Amino acid sequence: MTIRNTLRDHGQRYRPRMACLKKAEKLLLEMQDPKTGVKSQPQRLVITTIPHAITGEDIIAWLADRFQVDTQEARNFVSMLVALGYIYPLQDHRRLVIKPDASLYRFQTPYFWPTQQWPVEDTDYAIYLAKRNIRKRGILELHEQEHYNRLHKWMNHKWDFVVMQAKEQYRAAKERKKPDRVVFECQERAYWVVHRPPPGTVSAMDYGLDRLTDPNADEVTGLLCCSFKHYTPLTRSLCFLCSRRLVKYCSTYKSHDPFLSNCLPSNPWLTDDATYWSLNMPSVEIPTKMRVERWTFSFAELLSDPRGRDDFRLFLKKEFSGENLAFWEGCEDLKWGEAATMREKAEHIYKTFLARGAPRWINIDGKTMEVTVKGLKHPHRYVLDPAQTHIYMLMKKDSYGRYQKSPVFKDTVKKAICPEEHRYSDAQLQQNAKKRRPSLSPIILRQMEQEQRAKMAANVDITQVMSKLSKQGKEAPPPFLAPPLRNKHKRVMFRDFYRRI
Amino acid sequence: KRKKFTKLLLQVVACYRHLASCVGGCTDSLQLREELRQTREKAQMLSVAICSHLTSHLRNKRLPEGQRKEMELLWVAFSSSLELLHGDMCKVFNVAEIFSLANTDSLVQTGLQGGGSEVAARALSLPDLNRAQSPTLPAGLESQERSTMEQEIGQIEHMIDDMEMKVNVMRWMVEPHGPQYTDPLSSTDSASLALLSVDEEQPGRQPLCQRSQIFVLLLMFAVVLVAATLSVCVVFFS
Repeated sequence: MTIRNTLRDHGQRYRPRMACLKKAEKLLLEMQDPKTGVKSQPQRLVITTIPHAITGEDIIAWLADRFQVDTQEARNFVSMLVALGYIYPLQDHRRLVIKPDASLYRFQTPYFWPTQQWPVEDTDYAIYLAKRNIRKRGILELHEQEHYNRLHKWMNHKWDFVVMQAKEQYRAAKERKKPDRVVFECQERAYWVVHRPPPGTVSAMDYGLDRLTDPNADEVTGLLCCSFKHYTPLTRSLCFLCSRRLVKYCSTYKSHDPFLSNCLPSNPWLTDDATYWSLNMPSVEIPTKMRVERWTFSFAELLSDPRGRDDFRLFLKKEFSGENLAFWEGCEDLKWGEAATMREKAEHIYKTFLARGAPRWINIDGKTMEVTVKGLKHPHRYVLDPAQTHIYMLMKKDSYGRYQKSPVFKDTVKKAICPEEHRYSDAQLQQNAKKRRPSLSPIILRQMEQEQRAKMAANVDITQVMSKLSKQGKEAPPPFLAPPLRNKHKRVMFRDFYRRI
Repeated sequence: KRKKFTKLLLQVVACYRHLASCVGGCTDSLQLREELRQTREKAQMLSVAICSHLTSHLRNKRLPEGQRKEMELLWVAFSSSLELLHGDMCKVFNVAEIFSLANTDSLVQTGLQGGGSEVAARALSLPDLNRAQSPTLPAGLESQERSTMEQEIGQIEHMIDDMEMKVNVMRWMVEPHGPQYTDPLSSTDSASLALLSVDEEQPGRQPLCQRSQIFVLLLMFAVVLVAATLSVCVVFFS
């Protein structure tokens, strides 16, 4: 409610540096010079003329001349100035773009310039909307109407003040001469188009979250800015290695980053078309080419992508070594799962994978097995970590390489689709925006995931299990199983296997 | 009396905003800065008076419920207008730093033509502000003005802080009197609306306008012709 928040806030409350604003202000001052600045002309309206209107082509030409750049660059620059609100269009005020023709623009008054120090207050917006409503009922657009209702709800205690102040500002405006009144109305309207943009557009002043440190405060120098030559050789070489790794990472993932390169078919956030998401769902039949390419970057990428993991699982099934992946998944489940079911999970994993004569016995070396079995006496989340790491490295060094050369993978690569890029016109984009619908609820997604997991567990390689079981003789049960279960060891395990799904 | 003062303060704050929007633009002048200063002084006078009044009444625990609600409404209005005033003053201070009146070449060409004298007159409740002859600008005056402004901003901040400390008004309990949508004040302002809307539709509708204008002209011409022939006939046959 108060304007200055600096003393009372303990957290992220600072607007970030907006260094471009100061630079833009200097440029604006240069543009005003009557001799060397931008040429202005009067704007003729029905009853009166208002001076100081400038054409789009004039501004672009002036800027191109001032900075010695080509027209396209100057045009981009000026469109930034318009988007920030330093120059506003007189025709088509809702679209803050620069048209390189004789369309008219005007400079915004410094009172309405964007600032870094103060955020734009909702109280002011409420007063502005109330003022427009007072002038003519029903003039508010749909999104403004919605804002008005929302502000009325949460600023309810101030509403009398808002309405009174709106009336006073309206009366004060009537004291001015008509052309000045029109200019002020245009200025205010342009200001609010910048800071409360209509739907489908983005405000240039949008900066995401507030920051932790105050950029206006003095910077802490000294310890933090030591120069590179003071580093020891070890630190230097580590820095070098890190930077090399960073460079390698950036160059590998550059074409897969939706910010740096085109997102096929189109970025849903820009075109409101969710094809990209539906093509890249976790359990889609045919993955996209980009996705399959990512699986070849590293083993971790392959495992972290559910579709990749499915493919890998299929390959391992053909090779009859699916127990490695199943064990790894079980360990992950134990690590990230609920604490209540941890003990049962650990038991189940032991019985299925680690015990002597287990149906899906995994091959780990003796020392790790000893450590794991000892740890399982008092199971906790990370008790299976050594075994998991061993299996992971085994899969990475051995199976991963064979997977990439396997017919399963080659088949997937052949079948992978590469969708065509969408090219939407403006009207189609607006249509898409109207047809936006919310995506599947996370509850439904989780249910689908659980069903899938259940189906998968039920389809476990029965032949493998059966073959392992037949090799079992009457063997001593593992140390931590309770004695009464000894007799029904075999059958209980098999039944439990299905019951625990 | 309290209500009257609060209404007056709202009026002054609204006028201050109009004046503040001219700072840095082509109509910025010593006159405008002087008017701003006078408006600020009036606002501060009013706020000091209202503050002491409201604080003393709201701290009185034996205030009846109905009166307390009225006071709280006034309190909310007063504190909100103080915040608006503080914000405007900070903005004017910042803009005045960028634009010095000594160098009029760099004042922004905003399209305004008149000064804010009428608005200032409304703020100070004077029938007419005599245009004082614009004094020449001595070198130290601007920095002096800046330091006084800083002081005034500090005073307003102090007042807001003080108010929050002394009186505990629970804003979520305050209920406004007025409706969500107020009635339009007057319909005589549709002229400026018309100006704006013509402004909007100029590029697209120009050919249509011209065509309709020509059509109207032709119609009038035809009517005039018919009238002329009729009168000639009357003259001939009588």
